[in-house]
Amino acid sequence: MKFGENALKRLHILTILAAALTFFAAPGAALAQDAESVDAVAEEVAAEVPAYEYYGPDMIKGQPVDGAINIQPQYSPIGQEGAWMHNGILMYTMFGISLLILGLLLFVMIRFNKRANPVPSKTSHNTLLEVIWTGIPIVILLVIAVPSIALISKQYASPPEDAVTIKVKGYQWYWGYEYPDHGVGEIISNMMPQDEARAAGFPAQLEVDNRLVVPVGVPIRLQIIGADVIHSFAVPSLWTKLDAVPGQINETTMQVDEPGIYYGQCSELCGARHGYMPIAVEAVPMERFEQWVAAQGGSMPGAEEAVAEEAVAEEAPVAEEAPVA
Amino acid sequence: MSTLALEDRNRRTMLMAFAIALSMLGLGYASVPLYELFCKVTGFGGTTQVASAAEADLAERLASSAGGRTFSIRFDANTAVGMPWEFRPVQVTDTVSVGQRDMATYIARNNSDEPITGTATFKVEPEQAGIHFNKIQCFCFTEQTLQPGQEVRMPVLYYVDPKVMDDPNMEGVEQITLSYTFHRAITD
Amino acid sequence: MATTADTFQAHTDEHHHDADHKPGFFVRWFMSTNHKDIGTLYLIFAIFAGIIGGAFSGMMRMELAEPGIQYLHTFATWFGAENPTMDQALHTWNVLITAHGLIMVFFMVMPAIIGGFGNWFVPLMIGAPDMAFPRMNNISFWLTVAGFCSLLASAFVPGGTGLGAGVGWTVYAPLSTTGSVGPAMDFAIFSLHLAGAGSILGATNFITTIFNMRAPGMTLHKMPLFVWSVLVTAFLLLLALPVLAAAITMLLTDRNFGTTFFDAAGGGDPILYQHLFWFFGHPEVYIMILPAFGIISQIISTFSRKPVFGYLGMAYAMVAIGVVGFIVWAHHMYTVGMDVNTKMYFTAATMVIAVPTGIKIFSWIATMWGGSIEFKSPMVWAIGFIFLFTVGGVTGVYLANGGIDNNVHDTYFVVAHFHYVLSLGAVTGLFAGFYYWFPKMSGKMHSEFLAHLHFWIFFVGVNLIFFPQHFLGLNGMPRRIPDYPEAFAYWNGISTLGYEITVVSVLVWFVNIAYAYTMGKKAEGNYWGEGATTLEWTLSSPPPFHQFETLPVIEDKDHH
Repeated sequence: MKFGENALKRLHILTILAAALTFFAAPGAALAQDAESVDAVAEEVAAEVPAYEYYGPDMIKGQPVDGAINIQPQYSPIGQEGAWMHNGILMYTMFGISLLILGLLLFVMIRFNKRANPVPSKTSHNTLLEVIWTGIPIVILLVIAVPSIALISKQYASPPEDAVTIKVKGYQWYWGYEYPDHGVGEIISNMMPQDEARAAGFPAQLEVDNRLVVPVGVPIRLQIIGADVIHSFAVPSLWTKLDAVPGQINETTMQVDEPGIYYGQCSELCGARHGYMPIAVEAVPMERFEQWVAAQGGSMPGAEEAVAEEAVAEEAPVAEEAPVA
Repeated sequence: MSTLALEDRNRRTMLMAFAIALSMLGLGYASVPLYELFCKVTGFGGTTQVASAAEADLAERLASSAGGRTFSIRFDANTAVGMPWEFRPVQVTDTVSVGQRDMATYIARNNSDEPITGTATFKVEPEQAGIHFNKIQCFCFTEQTLQPGQEVRMPVLYYVDPKVMDDPNMEGVEQITLSYTFHRAITD
Repeated sequence: MATTADTFQAHTDEHHHDADHKPGFFVRWFMSTNHKDIGTLYLIFAIFAGIIGGAFSGMMRMELAEPGIQYLHTFATWFGAENPTMDQALHTWNVLITAHGLIMVFFMVMPAIIGGFGNWFVPLMIGAPDMAFPRMNNISFWLTVAGFCSLLASAFVPGGTGLGAGVGWTVYAPLSTTGSVGPAMDFAIFSLHLAGAGSILGATNFITTIFNMRAPGMTLHKMPLFVWSVLVTAFLLLLALPVLAAAITMLLTDRNFGTTFFDAAGGGDPILYQHLFWFFGHPEVYIMILPAFGIISQIISTFSRKPVFGYLGMAYAMVAIGVVGFIVWAHHMYTVGMDVNTKMYFTAATMVIAVPTGIKIFSWIATMWGGSIEFKSPMVWAIGFIFLFTVGGVTGVYLANGGIDNNVHDTYFVVAHFHYVLSLGAVTGLFAGFYYWFPKMSGKMHSEFLAHLHFWIFFVGVNLIFFPQHFLGLNGMPRRIPDYPEAFAYWNGISTLGYEITVVSVLVWFVNIAYAYTMGKKAEGNYWGEGATTLEWTLSSPPPFHQFETLPVIEDKDHH
């Protein structure tokens, strides 16, 4: 069984290689020709475009683990912070309080049962005690509130101007990713058929056909919007979750520390196939991201300035052709 | 206490309870205009402000005396599902100084073969910027009908209020996004 | 269910109190104006609805036992779909979660705890002959039944992708408007209207009864805590339900009459629906748990043979929970894209609720402290309640943190949390109340052995269902999905096992009821002994058809 899986995996890699070769050979030339007719600069870019190879299963970092009892390992600065708050403060508080109450219950059950204490006391008031058990929870809550408020405020740190901007659009039942600053139009991301995913060594129901490719180590401005009903873009290992509301854009900053694949699932009920619209983030080093952008026919915002004149020359006629109402 | 008095009291309590329930029902309905008003006044939920030309002039003078901070403005365009228009900003980003009036242009094109009326919704991100984002002229909510194949340019005249510089919530905000979504009007 | 009613009646018939002029069967049970009879009807109805809602959760746990879709196609055919497609089968899942949620909230917990125990014991505990408006009481009940029928009917008519309304109990627009074509959604919404109207009438009735019908000497500050809890709950109902009614009426008109309250295409805002829903929805969870608090207070005091510790603190803690409950609603909406200040406010406000809740938990323990505790079945259930509710409470504090919620929002962690406070909290409270008062209501003693057995199996079962769901949620499993990645298989398997165990415990409960009616000893007036001090224990078991024809006078000594 395992042997077979490995063989299939190898087969998959071969397929990718084959595809890459084909891309280089015939259509690559065709693309270059097309580009030539547009302008010279674009031709250069097209000619340089190397094939982009998506990460294989060995790069999976953020995914659920069977039998796990805690949060997924975090791969983002905000996730580190959240994990610290979760593991360092809230877990202790929750267990502490629960065990305290359990201990008190067991104690009174043993010490004050009918056999041990046949005559009940008549005490029904103790102001000091009541003040204490009102006061101590307040103190505990204040202790929790300080890092909690800090976490919220960090989470809302606005992405810098030069953050990589990605527009995420939730549809029934798939995601669309657009890179407006890179000239990469909407990429549709559907769940990969589960057998296919399994065969390739990816987690079924989490793997997609087109991943959301992002660079590591830099802030990413996610702008999330719903097309039809409310969806929710969520990646647990990146501490990211934000609703995709129709007609209203939502913005958040996401940052990935290490290259890898990070999985998530739609987290707001959106109809029949709600369970089948996963999110797969592929975080890659900047050079690879540039490669990927180029492979999609886009260009980096910096590079765009260099060819700004050409770009304007290319875009302007389209706008002018249109009758202005 | 006689039975009659009790019945009276009961009836009075019941009517009071019903009055409470009715007023909560009324509040439920009133919440629709109240919420809209609340958003407009406070910029809650990234609601933009509408300014007159006079206010814009004042803002410009204030800003020039206060000295400039600039913001990058991102223009975002969406169409709802079932809306066969192509809708995009001419320029994706722009940089403006605080108080400076600027014009952004969106282009909408009806790609279908029937006339279609659209209405737009808008939002500003980050949400705390809504209160400072003033539009002097815009196509928000006005119904637009485009003939098949027709393309129009839609200008938005806006400025960022100089008060933005006193708002602690706006510290660290470098870019403001103005987002529009065109929906197919329900009339057809 | 009818058999239960019959035996119930047969028993009271043989009792023949002189003041007991009882109407014939039809008039007594279908046109009932007697608070005890209506309470009984509510309890029977709640058990019936609970069986259906519980069966739905069984179908869900069956499907979730393993990854993949195994049973949904079959379930879809049960609702009348012929050769359901994959999407129709998946839609059936959404129908199940929607129906389970709505049934358990509106047709199981609320009717049982407010309609059932509230109707039965509020008049008895305050020394009133009946509720203030007996006929309105009857209307409340039958409106609830009509609402339930409407909800059940919705499962068999088209609702968009498949049969039934598949939108979750929160009924978020636009999934519930443009996203669900067909009459199923309208039936479901109408069912909420009916149940809501019934509850508003019921709340009015309770408020009037408690304000005006107390026996001489029974001041507000002498009322048993259960009565306090029902009073606070009635006010919550009165303030919260009309807002829901407005919201869902707007949904209806959006769906059918071309309005655009929540439709962005007409200038509406889908987020506004969520604000309105949760303005109702958060108080709603207190509506379900507060009466359980009241029941637990009575039981703890009875079996510790001590008055409730810090009575006034306990009463006003409930008032505080009720008040604060109205200003925290948006903690259900942390991920809709709200601004930073709003999120911080709702985080802080939500955490405040832990303070009055803490007061209640500590006061229960202090009531037991120094007491002479007898571990009769209601007490065992009550102690179980305190622990389970604490666990649900601390995860609530966890979820209150807006920054943390970002990771676990809409995951199974949330499911685990609210089942710990509702399924394990409110339902444990219900069972505690059931064993506490069942002999009082029926005149027959249940088996203490079976009641203890029921508790232990139930305790193991529900913890097995819901504790692993914390792990699933932390690990990232979203709510409301019928199928999951293999990595969630282990704990889901355990959870389903827990469900099976819980079913066994419910069977033990049914056996216990059957035992009580067939072999149960006759219950005395005060079968719990000297610890039971409230007014219902001064009456026979069951109480006469019309009680307190001469109003009892409450002496100026502790009566809680």
